[in-house]
Amino acid sequence: MRPFTIVFLVAAASGMFFSGFSTWDFVTHLDRDVHDVHCSFIPGVLESDSSASSGCHVTLMSPYSSVFRAAIWGGIPIALGGLAVFSFLLFRGLDLALNRREDDKRATTFLLLATLLPVLTSLGMGYLSMVQLGAACKLCIGIYISSVVAFGAAFGIRAQGVGEDMDGFGREFGLSFAEGVGFVLVPALLYAALAPDYSKYVGTCGTLLKPEDTNQVLLPIGQQVSGKTTIEVFDPLCPACKGFEGRLAASGMAGELKRSALMFPLDNTCNWMVSNTLHPGACMVSEAVLCADAKADNVIVWAFEHQDELRAAAAKNPDAAKDLVTGAFPELKACIGSPAVKSRLNKSLRFAVANQLPVLTPQLYVENTKLCDADTDLGLDYALSRLLSNGATKETP
Amino acid sequence: MNTPVHAGLAAACLAVPAILVSIGIGDAKAQLAANEASASAQPQVAVAAAADEGYCSADLKKVLRRVLQSCGLLSSGEVRGCQPLEAKNVATLAGDDFNKLFLPLKERAGIIQFDKESPDLDAGDLALLDRTFADQRGASYFFVVSRSSPEGSEVYNRNLSQQRGEGVLHHLQDTFKDQDLNKEVGILWLGEEFAQLDAEFCSWQRSGDPGACQSQDLNRSAFVAWIDCRL
Repeated sequence: MRPFTIVFLVAAASGMFFSGFSTWDFVTHLDRDVHDVHCSFIPGVLESDSSASSGCHVTLMSPYSSVFRAAIWGGIPIALGGLAVFSFLLFRGLDLALNRREDDKRATTFLLLATLLPVLTSLGMGYLSMVQLGAACKLCIGIYISSVVAFGAAFGIRAQGVGEDMDGFGREFGLSFAEGVGFVLVPALLYAALAPDYSKYVGTCGTLLKPEDTNQVLLPIGQQVSGKTTIEVFDPLCPACKGFEGRLAASGMAGELKRSALMFPLDNTCNWMVSNTLHPGACMVSEAVLCADAKADNVIVWAFEHQDELRAAAAKNPDAAKDLVTGAFPELKACIGSPAVKSRLNKSLRFAVANQLPVLTPQLYVENTKLCDADTDLGLDYALSRLLSNGATKETP
Repeated sequence: MNTPVHAGLAAACLAVPAILVSIGIGDAKAQLAANEASASAQPQVAVAAAADEGYCSADLKKVLRRVLQSCGLLSSGEVRGCQPLEAKNVATLAGDDFNKLFLPLKERAGIIQFDKESPDLDAGDLALLDRTFADQRGASYFFVVSRSSPEGSEVYNRNLSQQRGEGVLHHLQDTFKDQDLNKEVGILWLGEEFAQLDAEFCSWQRSGDPGACQSQDLNRSAFVAWIDCRL
């Protein structure tokens, strides 16, 4: 076996290793619970990550981690596709070695072309990860590196081959391509066939007891289209709310919703229901959102972009969040901290009391029916599309 | 090409993702079933509720409930207010003991001091009132306990303290447009007859001249405070 072939086999096995762990992390979430994820270059050896803010967690929960999300709860993980492709590359590499085809130009050319798929996918996913999500996932980086090494090794194998005969390459390419498609389709179809039925959970997680907004605390957000009325229970400095917003936008269903937000900062400077402040500065930023009123979307987008900075500054100095907000939105200076807006924020919290809402964010109510908390991340597209299509409240299973 | 080797390798390599998917989803299904079976044993998320602070003793709650029921708030859901005699009877407490109930509210309360023989709120009064009312937090009831100093007749002072209490209520209604206000604000007007404030309250948040704190200054007032108790 030639050195480039050995390198290729190691790269393919390495790609399987990283994408296998990534697939496993995704699949464990099918129980609708919260789990640690592997976030290491040596997964399985180092401890799993439970921070929920690591790059691996952000990418796993992002809308880019799977496909067909509206049809299957959570969708089919992209990592499973990666595992299938690297399994195929390992197969092709072993076949090359054991069937002594390292000098067969047709086989080595196909191998080189096949390695382009993980390389191009890695480029695309790497871009989404760094630019769209601002997160770096170590398992993903392992996959990217494996892809590039496999491509380089495939290039080396082809370059070292002595054969020049390309007759019948079209047939060879067609058959091998079909094999590759089979490698991807079989696990994907198996996944779709075995995935549990989650439809029984949709609409079973409660309703608003007193949805009437007598104190006008609900703030219209997003495009006010004539869709189903939804209420998002919301903390502008909550990372999960930011992630939820991204997933909702990516789902394409935001346009079907007439959305309003209920400010529910998890900050005990205004919210007596939390004993410890989870998001310092959230009360101040919530006041800013309420002050902005019709332009609340601008403040929310800005707050999402500066969440880390705002929380860190407010943790050191409680007034720092106000300085940052009024620096960006000077027109809100007179309103933030005023008795009127403090009272309005308090009424938002009292709306939560009147409806006996759980003390957590984000929450989404569609026509007063709650989207289950377990469906706010991976299961969002699946559960929300069903909630929008029927909206019926069911008994708890 | 050795086809059996080719097929064997394909099957072996394809088995890896297939087995991983089968085992992973099988485990998740089992865990899902276990989670459903033990749903009641799992820790529940806290539910939003009004505040119920440590100072809300059984005695305090008893008096609050009596005052709120007898003064209209709990029985009719609207502000009616309690006159001095009613307040004295429902509280079943001596004036000093009644005032002691409010001592834990030192950081939450404000004493709106009026000018002599006046029920009008000036700018300083309004600022303290707005600040105190806006700081509701988790409290369920806002108490307005208005008084008069002893100059003049009992009836005159009873009426004056009623005007002061109602002046506070009207300002809150006009300023905060709170639909729940009538279910939250409890008014007692005490005239000069019951539970006059003593010098102990001089150090509390007050409107008016901070340097002057005679008994008559303190009692030409409306004591306002959110009460963080659930009844």
